[in-house]
Amino acid sequence: MMASAPLLRIEHMSVHHGRTVALRNVTLLQDQRSIVALLGPNGAGKSSLLRAVMGLIPTASGSIQFAYRHVTDDSPEARAHMGLAYVPEGRRTFPGLTARENLAIAAFATAAERKRRLDRVLALFPQLEPHLARRAWQLSGGQQQMLAIGRALMTAPKLLLLDEPAIGLAPVLVEQLFARIASLAVEGTAVLLAEQNTAAALAVAERAIVLREGQVVADGTAAAIRGRAELDLSELGTG
Amino acid sequence: MSDRAQSGRERIAALGAAPIWLPAAAAVGLLGAAAGAYELRLLAIAGCYALAVLGYQFIFGRVGALSLAQGAFFGLGAYASALLALKLGWDFVRSFPAAIALALVLAAIVGGTVLRLASHYFALATLAVAELSRIVVVEWVSLTGGGNGLPNVPGLVLLDWTVPRGWPVTVFVWGWVAVGTLLAANYSSSLYGDGARLLRAEPLAAAAAGIDQAARRMSAFLLSAAFAAAGGALYVHTLGVVSPEALQFDVMVLILCMTVIGGRNAVAGALVGALLLVHLPEWFRAFERWALLAYGAGLLLAVIAAPEGIAGAVEALWRRWLGAPPVPPQRPAAPAALAPATLPYAEDRAILAAQALGIAFGGNRALSGVTFFLRPGEILGLIGPNGSGKTTLLNLLSGFHRPDSGQIFLDGRNLTALAGWQRARAGIARSFQHGALAADLTALDNVAVAANGAVPCARVADLFRLPVGDAKRRRARAAALSALAAAGAIKIAGKLGTDLSAAERRRVELARALAAAPKVILLDEPAAGLSDAEKAALRAALREVAARGIGIIVVDHGMPFLMPLASRVLCLDAGHIIAAGTPAEVAADPHVRRAYLGTGAAA
Amino acid sequence: MSWAQIAIDGLALGAAYALVALGFVLILNAAGAVNFAQGDLVMAGGFAAIVFVGLLPLDGIAVPGLVLAPLVALAGGGAGWLIAEVAYRPLRHRPPVAVFISTIAVGIMLQHGANGIFGAAERRTPPLVAGEALEIAGLTVSPQTLAIVAAAALVILLLHQLLERTQLGRRLRAAAQDAEMARALGIPVRRLTALAFALGAGLAALAGLLLANVYFVTPTAGLAFMLKAYIAVTIGGWGSLRGAVIGAFLVAMFEVVAGRLYSASLADALLYVALLVALLLRPAGLFGEAAGRRA
Repeated sequence: MMASAPLLRIEHMSVHHGRTVALRNVTLLQDQRSIVALLGPNGAGKSSLLRAVMGLIPTASGSIQFAYRHVTDDSPEARAHMGLAYVPEGRRTFPGLTARENLAIAAFATAAERKRRLDRVLALFPQLEPHLARRAWQLSGGQQQMLAIGRALMTAPKLLLLDEPAIGLAPVLVEQLFARIASLAVEGTAVLLAEQNTAAALAVAERAIVLREGQVVADGTAAAIRGRAELDLSELGTG
Repeated sequence: MSDRAQSGRERIAALGAAPIWLPAAAAVGLLGAAAGAYELRLLAIAGCYALAVLGYQFIFGRVGALSLAQGAFFGLGAYASALLALKLGWDFVRSFPAAIALALVLAAIVGGTVLRLASHYFALATLAVAELSRIVVVEWVSLTGGGNGLPNVPGLVLLDWTVPRGWPVTVFVWGWVAVGTLLAANYSSSLYGDGARLLRAEPLAAAAAGIDQAARRMSAFLLSAAFAAAGGALYVHTLGVVSPEALQFDVMVLILCMTVIGGRNAVAGALVGALLLVHLPEWFRAFERWALLAYGAGLLLAVIAAPEGIAGAVEALWRRWLGAPPVPPQRPAAPAALAPATLPYAEDRAILAAQALGIAFGGNRALSGVTFFLRPGEILGLIGPNGSGKTTLLNLLSGFHRPDSGQIFLDGRNLTALAGWQRARAGIARSFQHGALAADLTALDNVAVAANGAVPCARVADLFRLPVGDAKRRRARAAALSALAAAGAIKIAGKLGTDLSAAERRRVELARALAAAPKVILLDEPAAGLSDAEKAALRAALREVAARGIGIIVVDHGMPFLMPLASRVLCLDAGHIIAAGTPAEVAADPHVRRAYLGTGAAA
Repeated sequence: MSWAQIAIDGLALGAAYALVALGFVLILNAAGAVNFAQGDLVMAGGFAAIVFVGLLPLDGIAVPGLVLAPLVALAGGGAGWLIAEVAYRPLRHRPPVAVFISTIAVGIMLQHGANGIFGAAERRTPPLVAGEALEIAGLTVSPQTLAIVAAAALVILLLHQLLERTQLGRRLRAAAQDAEMARALGIPVRRLTALAFALGAGLAALAGLLLANVYFVTPTAGLAFMLKAYIAVTIGGWGSLRGAVIGAFLVAMFEVVAGRLYSASLADALLYVALLVALLLRPAGLFGEAAGRRA
């Protein structure tokens, strides 16, 4: 069910990557406090979509509205200050900074507010606490993933863009991580989650959107998408 | 059009910026006509610098390495020729080649040691060498006259006759400039020059085409030193005095400014830059004191707004006005020129075998325990979810990384220790996800580079397209045409790299892989971005290639492209092979389904 | 000439070089760019000091350095900001060699601008600290030397505090490591890069002020400073701040010792030879190349 004023509104967006068309005429709406899964095979355009929403790549046509404002021409920094946060594929924590520093720099707020946010992040990811003084490059893959998400949360975002957080993580960690992701929406942060691990993503999302070769081929509730076998999300069939 | 005329046309095109030549010739003529002894000498000096700039274009323009020693080679050439004349009484006929030889020796020593350094270290090292040579010359007073230099350097003495001052000297100098220009233009339009262009645009692809980057950089460095020394030698005999001013960094700055402002990739740019920057202070007397300041500003402006310099900008306008020059079709060699890969093999003999390959980047174990083999004429698919290590495996096979553990055998030969370009020459070819072609070469030339790359060693003849070298080029182009035909891309042979569509780029890359007569071809997502019809056509082309006995590994992220194509498929996940078999078997394998769909996959 | 005296001279020279090298590394880390104008900024700082001395009524003041230092540093900072906007920003997406060339161009302009305005003659600024030489433990130490060491030490300490303990400094380091990710977090990377250039140039200018008291300054002095900063950073490990300081002191010591044994210019030659040897044997420097640097 769409609220009358969705948090994120992408309309007829196209994105070019050099000479190829990465996204074609994509329309996507997302409400506050919701979790939407973005599915599709590798190369379908999931990353491009998230990067375009964040403003890291330009759109060739179409518009993006976030928090009821047109952001299509805004810089990534401006969008971040409006409440948009991004966790890229491959985490990209700042390797030379400690975990604590990684978290601290994301908070544009008073010291007191910063402490409050840090406490919340540590409540969500208690495994980070003993490692706060270590350099980010020294942490394991799972820890870095938690750090990257925590860092994004330190901006107190309204919408969190997550690009393939499950890559390279053991299944047990994936389960734990996704449980935390589920709780985020409850606490007030919407999540747009791009993931190749369809099962884990559909387990936490309310809605799912399927991309193939840059276009939206399906948009519905998680249950409905899960049931549509013919979508053959992994292209393992004879396609 | 005959081959001869065709090459002639290309030579002329390579001189570049046709509309520059007429005004340039007029300018030279007019300046010369101004006739005073002073103006003539200035013109001659401009010519000396032009030679240095032509040389600089080899290392800085074509290879893209910022060497800060060009001024030093210029000054050393000056000192060498002057000292030989003053101390040993040698005439120019002997001192000129001697000065060039000295520069070559020095460049060989310096280049051998510092060329392999990363760019910022290379620039620094050449700067240190330049300053070092200046200090040595200044301190060695007994030989060089120290800070005051030496006066009374003889003029241009040829055997018994001295070239008279005025017109004859100027003509003599510019005669050498003409020679240098022709050599540079020939280089630019030769197979060697094309290879350099690919090297600059796509170093990995060049390695995959068998081009030895280190050797190319060295030859460019040697050429740059030789040209600079030639300019310096002519300079000192024109000037009549030799002093350490010739070795100061200001000379390097001047050469750099001339190169960038004139145009670092256009041969005409060297002449434009030299003539302009030598004469500007003359034309604007008030300018003189601030000349170098203005040149600095000009350099800054050029780098930001006109990176290809004046000549490059003119050339771009000219091309846009003319449209792309048509490349006349050449007769392809008979199909037999592209011979089938090897002798007939027993069915179960492997052409490529990997044993227990493993590699880690930092803390991330990208591949471990990867073992497989490829038969001649077989098409092997390689799939796996994002991050599973497919591209890393290709990189290991083609030699861009050394594995931490394991071995690679090609046709029984252990390749594990060989570098990328050596593996290419041994018979492994590959394509790249984004279509790695040089934008400013035609499809034909992009492919011809690989055909030549497979043949080792470029000699001077090849460099300068003397008839022997030209024959090699014709052969390479013929082989390229055959390869393009085999890849179904013969119609686009004349299109420039920058004008090719995604599907066309894939075809050209396939042709380039074929042109080197490989035993194994590695293709990285060749079907991405292609329409269904294009995919089917590509499959057909690949089947034909395999029929010649070449082994093919195709990486793809899913099955649809591979299902009708591959006889076997491997699936990677997190760096391990989790399934191997026919495409149908692998698609149905539960481990594979889980890897793709994730844990707790629903039915 | 006692070794203690040499040590003190080396210390002072090293302190000044450390500022130059630090500035160079700051810019390198922040922008991934080699600032070839760094040496000429040192020279410009020296000349700026001469200009300020001419303009300001400093005669009665005991420590004119206290007035000059912030002025010169600010002037350098302004120049650095300008360089960031004009010579770096338009080229930040191009291969690094483009910025190398653009900063060479800036250096040329500084050098020949100074030459045009001041002429080629050597200049020297009046002392930073008025007063006679002191006798400490049997050595003659000029208050100049003390002032140089004290000023450099203070500045290095402040810089360390800035980078390690403030949000600004942390964000600067983050932007240097991954500019795109920093932007996605709302960090104003463009402004921080300009700030890094301003800091780097300000440090160079300050070093120029310090050096112009002890040595002469000429418009062509920039190249030697550039080489020495480059050498210091190479020896210390490309991209490492700590390495830059240590490398600077090593270069200064070498220069002072070799300068006593041979002539100044031979000392330079030996330094360059040492550099070439170091590059061949251990291109990663003493502290290794800091992770993930460009260019």
